[in-house]
Amino acid sequence: MLTSGPIVVMQVPEVLKVGEVHDFMQELGPLLESNRPRIVLDLSQVRSMESAGVEMLLHCLEEVLKRDGDLKLAALSPEAEVILELMRVSRVFETFLNCEDAIRSFHAIPAEAVPQNTPWYANVFNELGVVKQAS
Amino acid sequence: MLGAIIIASDQSRQVQGDRFIASPGSELASWAAVEVMGKASISRLADALWEVCDLVSVIATLRDRRNGAQSQSSLPDLADECFASYKRKGCDAVLIARCGAYFELDIATMLAFHQERGLEATRAFVDDGPLDVWIVDPSVVSGYSWVCSPSACARSAVYRSQAYANRLQSARDFRRLVLDGFHSRCHLRPEGAEIKPGIWVCEGALIERSARIVAPAFIGRNVQISDECLITRGSNVESDSHIHFGTAVENSSILPNTYVGIGLDLAHSIVDGRNLINLQHNVSLQITDPVVLRESAARGRGRKLRTDIESGMAMSSAE
Repeated sequence: MLTSGPIVVMQVPEVLKVGEVHDFMQELGPLLESNRPRIVLDLSQVRSMESAGVEMLLHCLEEVLKRDGDLKLAALSPEAEVILELMRVSRVFETFLNCEDAIRSFHAIPAEAVPQNTPWYANVFNELGVVKQAS
Repeated sequence: MLGAIIIASDQSRQVQGDRFIASPGSELASWAAVEVMGKASISRLADALWEVCDLVSVIATLRDRRNGAQSQSSLPDLADECFASYKRKGCDAVLIARCGAYFELDIATMLAFHQERGLEATRAFVDDGPLDVWIVDPSVVSGYSWVCSPSACARSAVYRSQAYANRLQSARDFRRLVLDGFHSRCHLRPEGAEIKPGIWVCEGALIERSARIVAPAFIGRNVQISDECLITRGSNVESDSHIHFGTAVENSSILPNTYVGIGLDLAHSIVDGRNLINLQHNVSLQITDPVVLRESAARGRGRKLRTDIESGMAMSSAE
């Protein structure tokens, strides 16, 4: 298991049948229960996935969203991509070509860059001010 | 008198990469033996040959249904035997087709060309090269094995044709044949009745009221399409298959006796039981989860291909 700050990257096993899902959840379970979990699942090794595997992914997503976190899928093998499309869940997940992109996506709008005491529309008005000045 | 020998094989299909691989000992890839819009290419070829030939034989190695045992004779031996019997019956020309490709040659014209040239054999060529189709003179040629020899090409006349041909070497070729049939780019016509423009349905098919079939599409014999399903964009669901509730099948081929589970999205694929080839991602995989894909319980007579080949054998043995 690799970690990058508060973002956890985990490699999903090659085969995701009921048994493997159980083992994987043993490892992933505690992470799901942390505060604002940010998880990247690396699916590059996946060759076979049963519906139990897809259900596990959906369960993980549900759990992290409940705790204000996020789950992203990275480096999907063609097999994983086909299975997720087949089971109509490919659009539910945010997917990335590789783990680096997935990690970077968590930093796309760093929380610390947005002043907590200014309203959300402040930036919009600031940009508008710039436009007015230019004209 | 013109006799025809079609060399086929009935090996079990195994998905590997983009092809069905022939089982050990058989010499031909088997896409031509797969049902396409109600009938395998081999059967279509046999039907077409009956129109112009006096004798037609389909040579195939058949496995015993119960124990899987194969016949002891090899394909070339059986073909040689058949060739010899045609010779005895007085055939003055024998057409030999090693059936791997789907083609629409004008056999009568090819025969006239062969007779005009007066060589021991004539081989058919299409735009992208030779086909495994010969017309041979049985008074000169020793047997089927002759066409397999290296000297055969050098001693054959070349009959060039602009006819439609599809080599059926890969899953992509197979899908192309289906779409060419739907779009009338070849003479391959779906079996069954055209119930609406571009929608063919065979006998025994059960399509629930809320299922939607969008042309062009083909629904084979004894197929069951459950409620809320969508079959569209040139998809063919072959005999005895079942598409379960809410599943969408788009630009795909479902081969005979296949069960496709509930609420799936099947696109750009060929499915044969648990085996799936996705042409968009260029990947083949076996789905082990029986609620998703599996072989359906046979309803009726089982795989059409086997029936067709057996009837072909019966035709030849009745002669």
